Amino acid sequence: MRRTVRPLTGAALAVAAAALSVAPAYGASAGDLEVSPASVVPGGQVTVRTAACGDGGAATGDADAVGAGSLSLAPGPDEQDASGRFRVPPSAQPGTYEITATCTGSGHRVTGDLVVTLTAGSRQVQPRGSVKTGVGGALGTDPVQTAAGVAALAVAAAGGTWLLHRRARGDGI
Amino acid sequence: MRGFPRHGAGFGDPATAAIAAVTVCALCSGAWLLRDGAGTHAPPQPSAAQARGGHDGQDGRARERPAAPALPPSPPDRVRIPAIRVSAPLTGLGLTKTGGLGVPPAARKNLAGWYEAGTTPGERGTAIVAGHVDNADGPAVFYDLGALARGSTIEVDRRDGGVAVFTVDAVEVYAAKDFPDEKVYGAADRPELRVITCGGGWSRGTGYQGNVVVFAHLTDSR
Repeated sequence: MRRTVRPLTGAALAVAAAALSVAPAYGASAGDLEVSPASVVPGGQVTVRTAACGDGGAATGDADAVGAGSLSLAPGPDEQDASGRFRVPPSAQPGTYEITATCTGSGHRVTGDLVVTLTAGSRQVQPRGSVKTGVGGALGTDPVQTAAGVAALAVAAAGGTWLLHRRARGDGI
Repeated sequence: MRGFPRHGAGFGDPATAAIAAVTVCALCSGAWLLRDGAGTHAPPQPSAAQARGGHDGQDGRARERPAAPALPPSPPDRVRIPAIRVSAPLTGLGLTKTGGLGVPPAARKNLAGWYEAGTTPGERGTAIVAGHVDNADGPAVFYDLGALARGSTIEVDRRDGGVAVFTVDAVEVYAAKDFPDEKVYGAADRPELRVITCGGGWSRGTGYQGNVVVFAHLTDSR
């Protein structure tokens, strides 16, 4: 019987692993190398990220096309995706460059495009405006809790009334 | 029901005793649920003394700790703020369609994020870290951010194994409708850090009115 159980377990693990690799909770989609920002000025910083190497997989990146050499992509302690960072040389010419990453182990190769431009100004793109970092869940009334409290008090009132009635009738308390 | 004479001296019968017990339990739990459920737990907000140039007995700029030399770029992995017991992993943040800063997934209450198209913490320039003050379930990673004081330490663990140590210069609160983009996100000529969460009062209709922003600069690394 063991013989049949083991292959089944293996198949289940393979299916689970496939499901994990194609459906990351968030981050880059599998099969691509996400380049952020996708457009950068010479001298700028670029982060590349991929989910294609699986949960916790590392990769070797190649940014030779733009003159930035190779880099390593490693998963963060809390990330499934492998990510790495490089600086575009200040001497880079405007154009579109292909950045590649090869998964350590599987050898799976993913690519992404980096656009080097001179027109974006000399600064990184900055965020604008306020940040939506709360919904008010820490304050105000919780309707479920309030309803539960009211229901509990109703039960107490009913019980108290009943007990008082019994006592008035001299029934035992 | 009169078949249990031993109980006759106290509660008339087991049913009465049970109902009395249930009544007492319901009364206590109901009172607790309503009192706790109706109480407001607004996150702490910074006082004027923590603002840039605010007076806490000494001149703010003069007592600021000297800046440490900039570090090479390396993505951050974790932010730690011992004074408010924060130790949170960092995920990468991008921009929203309208150009605003993205936020970490709200469901994970101890996850913060950093703006990965910008400066890495420790590098020269302005690095940006953001996290939720609360989510639908209650307080989240930066709930106590508004209670942080000038001079407090913020540590960032970097992928290269180093730790960037920042010292808080100011804790401000800004209204969303008049948000000082340049002051918060603008470039700096030394390694600086901003830590952002929601704040500035809350209303049922419009949610939080603005953001608490912590300004810090690099003072050490190891």
